[in-house]
Amino acid sequence: MADSKKPETSKEYLAELTAHVPPTSRRDFLKKGVKFSTSLAAVAATSEALSDNLPPHVSSWSKSLGTGVVSTPYGVPSKFEENVIRRTVPWLTADKISSISMSPLQELKGIITPNGLVFERYHAGAPAINPAQHRLMIHGLVDNPLIFTMDDLMRFPSESVINFLECPANGGMEWRGPQMEALQFTHGMISCCEWTGVRLSTLLAEAGVQSKGKWVLAEGADGAGMSRSIPMNKALDDALIVYAQNGEKLRPEQGYPVRLFNPGWEGNTSVKWLRRLKIGDKPWHHREETSKYTDLMPDGRSRRFTYEQEANSVITSPCPENPWGQKGSYEIEGIAWSGRGKIKQVDVSIDGGVTWRPAKLKGLVLTKALTRFCLPFKWDGSPGLLQSRAIDETGYVQPTLSQLRNVRGTNSIYHKNSIHTWQLQSNGKIKNVQLK
Amino acid sequence: MYSLNRILIVFALTAIPLLAVTSFAAETGRYGIGKTATIEEIAGWDIDIRPDGKGLPKGKGSVLQGEEAYEAQCASCHGLFGEGEGRWPPLAGGEDSLTEDRPKKTVGSYWPYASTLWDYINRAMPFSAPQSLTPDEVYAITAYVLYLNDLVEKGFVLTQDNLASIEMPNVNNFYADDRPDTNNERCMKNCKDPRNIEVIQSLRGITPDQKKTTAEENPAKSKLSEAAIEGKATYTTSCLVCHASGVAGAPSLDNKDDWAKRLEQGMDTLVKRAIKGFMGESGIMPPKGGNMSLTDEQVSNAVQYMVEAE
Repeated sequence: MADSKKPETSKEYLAELTAHVPPTSRRDFLKKGVKFSTSLAAVAATSEALSDNLPPHVSSWSKSLGTGVVSTPYGVPSKFEENVIRRTVPWLTADKISSISMSPLQELKGIITPNGLVFERYHAGAPAINPAQHRLMIHGLVDNPLIFTMDDLMRFPSESVINFLECPANGGMEWRGPQMEALQFTHGMISCCEWTGVRLSTLLAEAGVQSKGKWVLAEGADGAGMSRSIPMNKALDDALIVYAQNGEKLRPEQGYPVRLFNPGWEGNTSVKWLRRLKIGDKPWHHREETSKYTDLMPDGRSRRFTYEQEANSVITSPCPENPWGQKGSYEIEGIAWSGRGKIKQVDVSIDGGVTWRPAKLKGLVLTKALTRFCLPFKWDGSPGLLQSRAIDETGYVQPTLSQLRNVRGTNSIYHKNSIHTWQLQSNGKIKNVQLK
Repeated sequence: MYSLNRILIVFALTAIPLLAVTSFAAETGRYGIGKTATIEEIAGWDIDIRPDGKGLPKGKGSVLQGEEAYEAQCASCHGLFGEGEGRWPPLAGGEDSLTEDRPKKTVGSYWPYASTLWDYINRAMPFSAPQSLTPDEVYAITAYVLYLNDLVEKGFVLTQDNLASIEMPNVNNFYADDRPDTNNERCMKNCKDPRNIEVIQSLRGITPDQKKTTAEENPAKSKLSEAAIEGKATYTTSCLVCHASGVAGAPSLDNKDDWAKRLEQGMDTLVKRAIKGFMGESGIMPPKGGNMSLTDEQVSNAVQYMVEAE
């Protein structure tokens, strides 16, 4: 998955980065700042339409009527937000049918990902399923093999949970070195939604699992027949059979009309377009749990059934897409999450991990969900190395990249949850870097 | 108003025993929702195979039969010798490479069970026509891929009885998740010597352009013939996989020179080769692109679309 090219190595020492910026470069910065604001003024001056809408003028939209109700029966974002879209990395996969796209984390607020921006991962494309012709079958080691229609599933008691969904390959392009100058590409294989459905345990009780039943095979109705073996204890714990996300029915990209959802576990186990659950006494060792989604270690052996997404975090502002402009007050902001429970604490460093300050967690702090953190910051124009470090309620502390590489080498592809570094330059630009 | 009240009273009286029945159902964990799955219904969907061979249907296929089927249906993406075309997965080679800097994970070097190969080919291959192969074809292709990895002899015949006994070289090298495997501490001050920090910059020029990526979705604006318009859907589901990128020597949609050369032989020849399959100098065209469920007309329309589209 990683590219064969080796990253360039430039020896810059933190002492140089964090030392007081010499007066000359400060003057440089000020000059650049001045240039920046004059160029803005120039843009404003040349665009009369724009200045006509600014005080003291009354803007054109205040002197006319807007569009009426149901002019867009299903609403869409403002046309000025047209760049807030999912994106893919074309060279990563052979085609777009078995591929992945990333959520634009750099543009998202709060902890909920809008349905149209939830990252996509298909193994054989997203099928167009007619819900009236879709069925969910439960069979194998059960007393009553059953078939449910979508109407059947919606008669069971429902539950709603807010949980993240993350591909275990999130960040996997950067095991060997930094590659992507964009937050969307370094961390965008994660989204967080409110998911609604029926507990898998409820359906299993309906079918009557026999005492020898220890594993559940979940299988999709897509062209990949996507299949994963799920241990019974997860199935009976918090697994959901989901038919809605963020208040509306699942999007086709997310498994319409029904999917499995395993909170906190790698996304591919939450099998989409779910058509079948088979109860067995052993795992199946199918392709997506042997050839793929196993973690190759330096000794040539591999971990399998690496279900949990360990604690992770990243600063979303600033980031390469959201540079800082002039000196002054900012909020360093980001997201943290853990597949093992709630986020307990996030720390932020601006000097590459020499010194850390506790960040504030804001808004909802939910188990296995994205959690927002922030740290107010007065930027004096100095360069820095920005990092965030998540700690979850189990006490697990997000590792450094060196710690991860020491154990796992660089070929395990999945589960790269190391502390991420953004290099803040004196012009406010952000570069994706790694520290040795 | 008076009669409405009476209706409400009647409803309230009947509602009480109904509620009692409902709560009884919930207590026993049975809601009585859904219908019993019949043996026939289960049989149609019950396709999963396990390492112990459980789930395998009756059937057999030889390496030699597999070679023919593989070259027609698989080689265009996976390569004639399982080496993999473009970014499509290689299937063979890579022995003893798992500890190397660039490990090559293939069926032979990495996969722990032969059953996985049978299961995956059966459920998901060929890529553009999943669940279209007969059990005997799956046995044959599985046998051939094992042969490409030197795991069986050329005369080998794979059956439901001998598949579970094939031992894969890497079977003993998988183990259960033993994370957490790091033990970072929550240090707050003087956590490292700033002079030892080395900053590694990213590769330049490989981050995709983040301006709008939707432009390429624009449909061909030229006036397409009716056949070509019909053919576009088939192209998207069955042909695009190879013809968008030009994998395995396939003429790519936007390479007019490639198509001009082929058109010299006449449209009829082109269509015939697309339907029957063709092995040319630059690559292989599997019959109907590997999707045998397509009608001849659908294939013909898809070819028309590819010729006309810009």
